[in-house]
Amino acid sequence: MKKLIIIFSVLALLVFIRPVLGLNANTDTTDNSSVTTTQVDQVDTESNLDGALNGIAKFYDYTGFANATLGHIIMIIIGIIFIYLGIKFDYEPLLLIPIGMGVIIGNIPFVAGNQTGIYETGSVLNYLYFGVVKGIYPPLIFLGIGAMTDFSSLIANPKLMLLGGAAQIGVFATFLGSLYLGFNLPEAGAIGIIGGADGPTAIFLSSKLANGINVLADGTTVKNLIGPIAIAAYSYMALVPVIQPPLMRLFISKKERKIKMKPPRAVTQKEKMIFPVVALILTLFISPSALPLLGMLFFGNLLKESGRTERLAETARTKLIDIVTILLGVTVGASTQADIFITKDSMLIFGLGAISFVIATSGGLLFAKFMNLFLKGDNKINPLIGAAGVSAVPDSARVVHSEGLKSDKTNYLLMHAMAPNVSGVIGSAIAAGIILSFLG
Amino acid sequence: MIYTLINTDPISEGYFILITGLLIVFSALVILALFFNYGLPLMLYIYKIITKGKDKKISEIKAIDNSDFTGEVAAVIGASIHMYMGEQHDHESGILTIKQVKKTYSPWSSKIYGTQNRL
Repeated sequence: MKKLIIIFSVLALLVFIRPVLGLNANTDTTDNSSVTTTQVDQVDTESNLDGALNGIAKFYDYTGFANATLGHIIMIIIGIIFIYLGIKFDYEPLLLIPIGMGVIIGNIPFVAGNQTGIYETGSVLNYLYFGVVKGIYPPLIFLGIGAMTDFSSLIANPKLMLLGGAAQIGVFATFLGSLYLGFNLPEAGAIGIIGGADGPTAIFLSSKLANGINVLADGTTVKNLIGPIAIAAYSYMALVPVIQPPLMRLFISKKERKIKMKPPRAVTQKEKMIFPVVALILTLFISPSALPLLGMLFFGNLLKESGRTERLAETARTKLIDIVTILLGVTVGASTQADIFITKDSMLIFGLGAISFVIATSGGLLFAKFMNLFLKGDNKINPLIGAAGVSAVPDSARVVHSEGLKSDKTNYLLMHAMAPNVSGVIGSAIAAGIILSFLG
Repeated sequence: MIYTLINTDPISEGYFILITGLLIVFSALVILALFFNYGLPLMLYIYKIITKGKDKKISEIKAIDNSDFTGEVAAVIGASIHMYMGEQHDHESGILTIKQVKKTYSPWSSKIYGTQNRL
């Protein structure tokens, strides 16, 4: 009986609510405009065979074979090389495999106008790319990185923080270099950040400065350089094990490579909890434009260190960052559509990116040597860890560690190298904030 | 700030950003380093004085001495976990085939066969 009343009242409600919402069929006025269709009988003169052949020809026009250009083929091969490097040599496979697949996806030739490609409004890829263009994905990645990172080696030895700053010389030197090559200020700023060796930061800054939307003071629109910058940043990050060791051998003498650093002191939980809050306030008061990146980074770290929000930290450093990495990798890869990607600018950006990595690494190494001039006894640092100041976490720290092992099998530098490594992340985010506040 | 930049030469502007940018990055990191070198120990010291040394830990698991749980038990548990993890069989195919054994003669009840041959 009760059910019956409920059903009846729901029905009654629906009946009464229809006119209110304008759903009543009787008041439908949308069909008033009359459409006249004239049907013309066409005499079918063509034979069925011709029709079929025409159909096949038309179908062929829509296939990739008909629309492929040399650019598409080159880019597809590059995508395959990325995947190969990721699988065979284990160079950052979590990045290179999604990006490589994305490059192939983005370079399948198609007929424009069917909402297929990543640059066509309304296509699925375009919606996913939105997170890149608007800089949504990078802060989410930073949240995950924050929840993963242990800052204790940095807290134990705060002077190593300066090495993270020294490596940012690469950012500003590249910035200057790209100005000389004729890029305008915002574009140069976005290119410079490749030297920060930080993929999410590079995407964030280029989506703000070189997004193809902003209009400059002299009326020209900036170029859309998100794709080339992101690809350059990620590919050089993957190549850290190739780029850095020769520089280390060039700048650091054998004797210096053998310096053993004293083990870092134990850091209390309280210090670890205070770190994200204080570092957030101090760094962002200096460079507020880095807020989306550093805010999320330190938030993630607090989730990890507070000891009360393990569930949230767990999600941030596993599922969330995985999802965002997948979306980011594929869409950044797909944004390299040949007709937009293969330009002189992209080639210049690749060249500048390589130089910026070299400058950043050298800056870190030389600054570490410079710091050693002032340090005495067992406080001396092993200059190799300066190379970890470029923020490619944790790859550059790993490279430093293995280089240290080559000189002395009992010298474990990984813990020490993590300090400049994580401060490099903070440093490059601050640098991005500064460039954004000057040029944004 | 942008408005002042419009009519200047981008290269000189670049040098300006280069120098100020590097200075700001360094100063930010120097401040952080100084704080964690000097400020934080001081803060913790003050905190200790305020709470008069009574530092309540958030969650302290008290080890209850259990006389039954000896080192040997721990060793056995450790060893068994190690063996379990180390000697787990990989997955075998779940398909079982019954092979027909073609033997015309079965000695299952033959007394003389049993004394002459070992099964």
